[in-house]
Amino acid sequence: MGLDFKTPQRQSVTGIIIMFADTFQGLIRALWAPILVVLFRMKSENYLLIALGFLALVVLTLVIGYLKYRNFTFFLDEEKQEFVLSKGIINKSKINIQLSKIQQVNINQSIIQKIIGVYSLDIDTAGSDKKEISIRAIDQSLALILKERLLDYGDKEEAVSEEKSKIISDNISNTKPFIKISYATLFKVGITSNYGRTIALLITFAITLYQSFKDAISTFEIDETTVDSAFEKSAGYFSVGILVAGLLFLVLLINIIRTFIKHFDFEMIKQKQSLAITSGLFAKKNTLLNPDKVQITSYSQNYFQKKLKILDMNMKQASSNEAKEEQKKSNVIEVPGCNSYERDEILKLILGKIPEKGTPIRPNFRYLISRIFSAIVFLGIIFTVLNFSEVENITFYIPLIFVYLGLVSSVIYFGFKNNRLYSNEDFVILKHGAWDVEHEIIEPYKIQAITTRQYFWHKGADVGHLTLHTAAGDVHFKFGDFTKIKQLVNYWLYQVETSKQNWM
Amino acid sequence: MEFTNETIDLDLLPKFEEVHFSSLHKDYVKVVYINIAIVLLIIAIGIGALIYFNEEMQQSLAYSIFGISYMVFALVLFFSSVASVKRRAYAVREKDILYKRGLLSTTTTMMPFNRIQHVAMHEGAFSRIYNLAQIQIYTAGGSTSDVKISGIEKEKAESIKELLMQKIQNQI
Repeated sequence: MGLDFKTPQRQSVTGIIIMFADTFQGLIRALWAPILVVLFRMKSENYLLIALGFLALVVLTLVIGYLKYRNFTFFLDEEKQEFVLSKGIINKSKINIQLSKIQQVNINQSIIQKIIGVYSLDIDTAGSDKKEISIRAIDQSLALILKERLLDYGDKEEAVSEEKSKIISDNISNTKPFIKISYATLFKVGITSNYGRTIALLITFAITLYQSFKDAISTFEIDETTVDSAFEKSAGYFSVGILVAGLLFLVLLINIIRTFIKHFDFEMIKQKQSLAITSGLFAKKNTLLNPDKVQITSYSQNYFQKKLKILDMNMKQASSNEAKEEQKKSNVIEVPGCNSYERDEILKLILGKIPEKGTPIRPNFRYLISRIFSAIVFLGIIFTVLNFSEVENITFYIPLIFVYLGLVSSVIYFGFKNNRLYSNEDFVILKHGAWDVEHEIIEPYKIQAITTRQYFWHKGADVGHLTLHTAAGDVHFKFGDFTKIKQLVNYWLYQVETSKQNWM
Repeated sequence: MEFTNETIDLDLLPKFEEVHFSSLHKDYVKVVYINIAIVLLIIAIGIGALIYFNEEMQQSLAYSIFGISYMVFALVLFFSSVASVKRRAYAVREKDILYKRGLLSTTTTMMPFNRIQHVAMHEGAFSRIYNLAQIQIYTAGGSTSDVKISGIEKEKAESIKELLMQKIQNQI
């Protein structure tokens, strides 16, 4: 094997074993249930049959592994600066990757690969489906050379900038913080934010507690109906009131503690090009924020926060790796409880100027119809379930319906009232939310793709939906004037396609 | 250098909604037929096995319930799939690629060339019989914005892919 990758080449010959192991693993994973059934159901005189079947399976997988190995080729097209990978026995795939788009090349080794002495080489672009571009068996030396070749083109700049940022972070301690959040502000943030999330958490907690309580009682062989009725008796409206008050208190307490742990000693320091952020009570977290990497900037404020003159800011960065879905959250940098002056300073730093709201588009009243419809359907489902589960005194739940209707209708109404899409030359701003009113700001050149959607029954009313795809997630605007949306889409496409700016 | 900064007239910009879209190759519907047939066959085998092993179900009522729902399902699947294939279309413009699909709704995704990350071409077993291929286009917008266009003639798919790769390269 030569050290140039110009001609299509296969993996290491031992790759057959890896391919075989992969296929076999996949097969077992897909078929474990029927296999178990067969093993348990079969009588002992049929063991020979099973063994033969197993052997056939192994041989089949070996053949598949060999064919997979035969059909897996890769090469480096130096002229076009592409890495080309072909694979597949029956379903064939050919993947071309522009070298400049490669973000990471990882060399890994699993146990099986260790035994055989090969490595796997995974290529990561900002696009999704990480598993697609993976060479499963390659010699170490070859892997290292290939990695070097692949990264030769693209990543140089990145490496330099990372080094730079390290130097910057060493100098952090010398500069004065640009934003520092006091305990009083943290307290304010704690009592005003994240109600929904905490309530949901508490409800699930309460339900599991109730369930396990019931389970515990049933194991002690206490008559279940007496317990149930005791529950229902004690859960009169008065005690419901106490419960709600207690719940509210608990929510506030949890929120305050959470906020303090997460954002204790929050400091933001302005660097030449970036922002350095430190926070945390137990574990001090250092984050370096490069404004170019921020894809969506957002700030949100609810009624209480408005009265207290504080707001939450979020900077969503590009998540380079689709496979690490859970890491997406850590790509969001939160600034809790800043005032509007600090917000403007941060916006100026990240976006270059304070974004002005352009011409607004409001959603059509069909927004209300669709939300009300889904709310009623949800209620209907709940009722059918209750009906079938034979809950005795359904009248008890009637007041709850009014609570639900009141809550949902206000959420729908305010959600509708607050929903707006502003756009001008430099920014797209989406305002949404019933309680926490959020403004999401996107620079048009950071849009990756645009999707529009229109149901046929909305055609006459000229209403449609819009999704802007960015590297930090999607932004939706629904039930807008479709003619205006189409016009904006054309404009954004024009902006993206003529933009010379680097989106990351 | 002459610097101009005229206001852009939004109405003069090229309109994506007026682009001529090309539909999928007419043979692709046959591939869909084959796929539907396989799905229906598997379900039929499943129902058959269920009835065969459950003696309670071996009565005319169960037969008619299964039969009717199977027929309804088969018809709905058939007509919706065929109709949705007819509604799928794509267009390659100078600077972006558009893909339109959807039965009840019309969904159009637009991907500028300078935001495409990489391109893959897949050939399914049945598609290959009719010399068709699928193009998958990745952007950094994540899986929600990645587009798969099936049922393109292989040579055409190859040339689209070639074109995309060339465009990507030119941006650097």
